[in-house]
Amino acid sequence: MKSKKNRLFIIAFTLPCALSLFIMYLYPIMRTVIMSFFGVESVTARTSEWSFNGVANYQKIFSSPTFHQAIKNMLLIWVVGGILVLSFALLFAVILTSGIRFKKFFRAAIYMPNIISAVALATMWIQYIYNQEYGLLNKFLEALGLEGRNWMGTDMKFWAMLVAFVFGAVGYYMLIFINGIERISGDIFEAATIDGANKIQQFFSITMPLLRSIFKTNITFWSINCISFFLWSKMFAPVNTEASTVVPVVYLYDTVFGTTGNVTRDAGAGAAIGVVLSLFIAIVYFIMNKVIKDDDLEF
Amino acid sequence: MKKKVLSLLLAAVMVTGLTACGTNEGGGNSKSDSGNETSQESEDAGDSEDTGDSEDAGDSEDAGDSEAAGSNYEGVELTYWSMWANTEPQGKVIQAAVDKFQEETGAKVTIEWKNRDVKDILNSALESKEKIDLFEDDYKRIAQNYVDYVADLSEMAEAAGYADKSYAVFDTQQKAWAKDKTGSEKYTSVAEQPQVGGIFYRKDLFEKAGVEVPTTWTEFMEVCKTLKENGIQPLALDTAYASFAFGYHLSRYVPEETIGEMSEEGGWSSNADVAAAADSMIEFINAGYLADGAPDEWPNSQNKIGMSDEVAMIICANYVTTEVNNTAGVELEWGLFNYPGVEGKDDLAASAYAGANSIAITDYCENKQAAFDLAMMIVTGEIDQQMANEAGQIPADPANQAPASQDGTVEVLKATTAPLAWNMGIGENADLYPKLDECVIQLFEGKFATGADFAKALDGLY
Repeated sequence: MKSKKNRLFIIAFTLPCALSLFIMYLYPIMRTVIMSFFGVESVTARTSEWSFNGVANYQKIFSSPTFHQAIKNMLLIWVVGGILVLSFALLFAVILTSGIRFKKFFRAAIYMPNIISAVALATMWIQYIYNQEYGLLNKFLEALGLEGRNWMGTDMKFWAMLVAFVFGAVGYYMLIFINGIERISGDIFEAATIDGANKIQQFFSITMPLLRSIFKTNITFWSINCISFFLWSKMFAPVNTEASTVVPVVYLYDTVFGTTGNVTRDAGAGAAIGVVLSLFIAIVYFIMNKVIKDDDLEF
Repeated sequence: MKKKVLSLLLAAVMVTGLTACGTNEGGGNSKSDSGNETSQESEDAGDSEDTGDSEDAGDSEDAGDSEAAGSNYEGVELTYWSMWANTEPQGKVIQAAVDKFQEETGAKVTIEWKNRDVKDILNSALESKEKIDLFEDDYKRIAQNYVDYVADLSEMAEAAGYADKSYAVFDTQQKAWAKDKTGSEKYTSVAEQPQVGGIFYRKDLFEKAGVEVPTTWTEFMEVCKTLKENGIQPLALDTAYASFAFGYHLSRYVPEETIGEMSEEGGWSSNADVAAAADSMIEFINAGYLADGAPDEWPNSQNKIGMSDEVAMIICANYVTTEVNNTAGVELEWGLFNYPGVEGKDDLAASAYAGANSIAITDYCENKQAAFDLAMMIVTGEIDQQMANEAGQIPADPANQAPASQDGTVEVLKATTAPLAWNMGIGENADLYPKLDECVIQLFEGKFATGADFAKALDGLY
């Protein structure tokens, strides 16, 4: 009798949440997947207005040079940006947990870009660092007697955007690493020191292996961050979408809502882009789970 | 027992919370979640009931509500979705217009300030027949994307003599777009903020260099040469407007329709005029007629026109003059001339870019005449003059006076019969546009030695 009552309570408590999940997440996902196989102009068009397209939407996006460029840019952000962000974040985390003075100040300073609006941060980089006339970089080069350059030209714009983005992202991942390092008992390091291991040996033989699960978390967060990359691309190309900074979500946005001066919309192709991006996240998550196993160490 | 009661209470709170979050607001007066809504209570709103959504969508006659402007609209409620913010000059003028309309007619108007992102939410809102009576957006988007959801304004416009209070170019263009989309003409909107493109220049710098406004490319090159000899950098250019600038140039060599076809299908190298247009632009660039640092990141290059007395011209739409004035905090002496034509292509020399933000009325609006009267109040007469003065824009009513920053624009608009589209066909292929645009920026960066190389690079994208 009691067990039946408990079941009722469990259902009463979980039903609202389950229904919300179904309505807010599962239904849109299912609709998007189905929509990706149909010709649909407006994202909220009635299903009676949809026309079956087979895999034409997927063929369209996979044959689009702009989509190729967007994927290329995203992968570069993921790989190059990922290596830079996670390397700097780990380096700063190790330094800040090594007992240096003013730890709290440095931690706050490195994290600070995360509490500043990305719009303000991007504007700062574009106007005060990359500006050809009075930007910090060209002024620095000028002081060295070198010639300045257009950091926002077609050949440099992507890298300019990436550096600015990396600058803003390091602090977040650093905090996660710090949390992971502080979780490791000091006794382990003490024992290693007594055994004659130096700091570098301790880092590679103790810290790194015990941070495996933290790496997995950070790589997953970074992957999601890269796939949903949008604002920085828009800030570095505020009027028109530009090939040097285009990423899949911007391409999706333009495909679904049209662009400056062109009102053509294709919600079906937009849905196909969304499905491809979701698959990408699923693949990354699957690989992370296979490659980095965090359950074989206990401490 | 206590636990049971507590559990039930908690469950009730959760369910109520979720229900409240998901409340459908389509039925009545919509309230903006973003909090950017301003409600205007008329001084005598009385017991007016929300009109709700009309079921007879598509019935554009609306004869029962039709009354002449200035009529008593006591009890009428209108919802106005604006593409501006209430802190912007345009928003302030709209607010003033609405206040006046309410005072004169007794209607109640609710403005929802949606900002520029209105284009992303309008379609869904119109499809679900959300309480919107009139809204603002780009007139092409209205005529093509929302054509099924907006009222045909032909009869009301005719009755109001609107043809004499507007530019013919917008009327004919929107009807043609609606016909493209649906097979029949439809008068979908009234122009609120007209735009015109061309070469905007500083009159004082032209006077200083002793040059006159050019009409042909040869004359334009001469003007640039003289300006440069006088220590003035001829042309500002930001990458955001690279395709607009080169599109204008190309449209003097190749008809816009052909540019659009090449944008869709390729074949740029097969058209000798493309290489010729690019060659003449390369000659212009190599002569050093672009301002220092151009093509620069928007808005750095355009700002140099106002921040210094060293840069004379820019190819853009008319809003650039207000942007530069506002950034520099000065009132420059602006002039406008149409993009110069090239020899042997006289038939392509006269066209100019024209566009507009316009006001449309939903086809399910229950008080179309009242909505139309409000729209007319905004786009004509003293409110329109106020809008032109305070927002620094072209008056929607040609009888009004353009502010100094828009000098010459009304004349160009009046003379334009077949307007060029934004980017003059280069943007016709929306999917490929970012890559095409990159090639154009590279042309201005000096990455192509010849026009043929440029055309070949464009074809390489297909």
